[in-house]
Amino acid sequence: MAQHSSKSARFQAVTANRLNDGEVVYFKDNRWIENFAEAEIADGQEAAEALLTRASPDNMEAFILDPYLFEVSEYQDGFTPVSVRENIRAKGPTVRTDLGKQAEAG
Amino acid sequence: MYRYDEFDHKIVTDRVNQFRGQINRRISGELSEDAFKPLRLMNGVYLQLHAYMLRVAIPYGTVSSKQMRMLAHIARKYDRGYGHFTTRQNIQYNWPALNRIPDLLEELASVEMHAIQTSGNCIRNVTADQYAGAIADEIEDPRIISEIIRQWSTFHPEFSYLPRKFKIAVTGHKNDRAAIKLHDIGIVIVRNDRGETGYEVHVGGGQGRSPFIAKKLTNFVPAEKLLAYLEAVMRVYNMLGRRDNSYKARIKILVHETGETEMRRLVDEEFKRIDTSQMLSLPEAELSRISAYFAPPNYETLPAQSKAFEAAKGSNAEFNHWVKTNLVPHKTPGYGIVNISLKPIGGIPGDATDVQMDVIADLAQRYALDEVRVTHEQNLVLPHVKLDEAKEVYDILFAHDLATPNIGLISDSIACPGLDYCNLANARSIPLAQEISTHFADLDKQYDIGELKIKISGCINACGHHHVGHIGILGVDKKGTEFYQISLGGSGDEQASLGDITGQAFTEDKVVDAVDTIVETYLNLRQPEERFLETYRRVGMSPFKEQLYAD
Amino acid sequence: MLTKTHLISNGAFIDDTWVLLDDETPLGDTPAIISMDRLKAEADALRSRNAKLGVVIRTNTLGKTKLGEDVRELTPYLDMLSTIAIDFPVYRNGRGYSDARILREEMGFEGELRAIGEVLFDQWSFMARCGFNSFEIDASIPVETFKEALSELSEAYQPAVDNQRGVLWRRHGL
Repeated sequence: MAQHSSKSARFQAVTANRLNDGEVVYFKDNRWIENFAEAEIADGQEAAEALLTRASPDNMEAFILDPYLFEVSEYQDGFTPVSVRENIRAKGPTVRTDLGKQAEAG
Repeated sequence: MYRYDEFDHKIVTDRVNQFRGQINRRISGELSEDAFKPLRLMNGVYLQLHAYMLRVAIPYGTVSSKQMRMLAHIARKYDRGYGHFTTRQNIQYNWPALNRIPDLLEELASVEMHAIQTSGNCIRNVTADQYAGAIADEIEDPRIISEIIRQWSTFHPEFSYLPRKFKIAVTGHKNDRAAIKLHDIGIVIVRNDRGETGYEVHVGGGQGRSPFIAKKLTNFVPAEKLLAYLEAVMRVYNMLGRRDNSYKARIKILVHETGETEMRRLVDEEFKRIDTSQMLSLPEAELSRISAYFAPPNYETLPAQSKAFEAAKGSNAEFNHWVKTNLVPHKTPGYGIVNISLKPIGGIPGDATDVQMDVIADLAQRYALDEVRVTHEQNLVLPHVKLDEAKEVYDILFAHDLATPNIGLISDSIACPGLDYCNLANARSIPLAQEISTHFADLDKQYDIGELKIKISGCINACGHHHVGHIGILGVDKKGTEFYQISLGGSGDEQASLGDITGQAFTEDKVVDAVDTIVETYLNLRQPEERFLETYRRVGMSPFKEQLYAD
Repeated sequence: MLTKTHLISNGAFIDDTWVLLDDETPLGDTPAIISMDRLKAEADALRSRNAKLGVVIRTNTLGKTKLGEDVRELTPYLDMLSTIAIDFPVYRNGRGYSDARILREEMGFEGELRAIGEVLFDQWSFMARCGFNSFEIDASIPVETFKEALSELSEAYQPAVDNQRGVLWRRHGL
């Protein structure tokens, strides 16, 4: 599996998959949302660690799988994932643009 | 085709109920993810990038029309209207919800199908020659022994927690279409001097990070002893296989580190011990019972030549092209083996929609004695089609974008799901297959190039068989960006060879150019009638390398 | 390693009278399970001892016993042993299933064969089929759950140590 983030990353967000349907979700204000554009962004390593800790409480496993940090960068008015992998997770398969989040966004 | 008896039904039904309980225990929180993961994997359920993925077993790549209709139904009801046929002759669904999987499996069980052992460190789905029972000069239908192996290996109490996964492939023909030398165990059906049928056993082949061609451990095991022999190989592996490093845990590493001679000695010794009790000697009656299911179907007596077929070829150039590439001679006069290409130009290799699967099911029922096969090159086969009706079959396939005349040609690539779906992938595979296929869309050009197998993997696990591609492409990740390593000269057939890496990896936008350069180099160098692989074996890497890295 | 376990033997909870001793603790007159190294080193003295003896087979992935100990080395000592415990360091390590079958089928061991370590619900039935008759499991698990697990898969295709002959044979009355 590719590396999701690095020590030198400035902006990071937390993502995971939902237990019931495997849907990609992002952490925001102590809940999990489906849309990357609304994900909570941590600025700096300390903030990132704190974000991941908040996203991984003891009972987390009851509905969320394997939360982890990934690097994002500033893009237009918001942020975009840095790696190809996280871009694909945020949107859907590049070869089926009619499926996944990209399709629901219309 | 094999049909379940009451025992088979009971075993599959018990498993569905067991897994339903496990899923309920997971969702209720009773089971942790750590404890649940190996259980879901043993039932073919992966967590991928966007959703869960379910891998359904298609034992030795054979399905009936009824089963194919069920696969279509599942694509519609539990997924998003399509499925992906894989290099393991299985089908994968990319979007099922975890809590609906038990119902899905129950529906599958109603047509004698399952997802048992399609993942996990156990003996996986047995694969075989897709032309089994239909091709001339076959020693024995490989599906007979494959079905016996399927049963023996299902829920094997000793071999369900092996050091790593374990794949067995079988061929009954001198032309190896099952890539048996790239499997943990590859079985070739042979006949000895006395005319008895038996099995040649190759052990320790595989791809992945360290690719190896299997070593032949024995020339002949009689049918009744085969399970004892396989159990001996498995036990030696389970006892001595490495568990300290998952990249070194496959049997190919054990064979490599132990040496072929010592490995043979260990297996022979274990075989003698196991065979002493005769517990695993296969009863003649069971061999006959299972063989009967694979008896030749009721072919009609037909002339070898079909007037309608010849006339259609004469009047329709497209049909004629398709016949040349996609139709293979059948052992029975008046019949042909029809290959259905799942590689439309610019399409996703191996994907089929629910509608296409239904169409194929109908064709199988009406024209192909009710059978469909899945090939490890991600195409489908109608094994027994009357030449008289080949044009009708072609017309229906054509209407559903299933008649691309490109079997074995450059646009017939294998590609794993890659980073578009797979959690392990480092790079995408499918877009490259699409770009290459679009670049070489011109069929005259493809026919001129001739047989050329491109195989693309999105990571070192090599699900796209890149090591044995005439041109192999391997996706690698460099700091979140995709790069592609190219290799030349691999082959997965009876003269198996591993490809040689050309050199530095290419960025995604340079891969098609590189493939084009390789093809042009070949076209310039080839001698009359020489295929790409033969040219490469004759001239070696240097001329290709010179052209590829000219700047 | 689980902190609190209890022992199911031949389908019922029993009091575990055995103690697992390290190589330094002196052996008393009560049933004791010792390491394979100690068994080999002290075999002569142990033969004259007046209490039941057991041995533990370690399946490590560390050090010189990277693969784990070889049960076949127990052959000369088999008559001294009432119990053999096979350690599953993690449930994924399935080497112990082969150890068990070798002990039962090849070496003819008829004493207690005990699964210890990570011995989980979904492995019990396979362990039982391979010849284990004793299971050290999490203390919170009731015996009914154990019995249920053993009956989840009611048929088996292949022969093993249990009495099932395997469907491939039973279809023909064998």
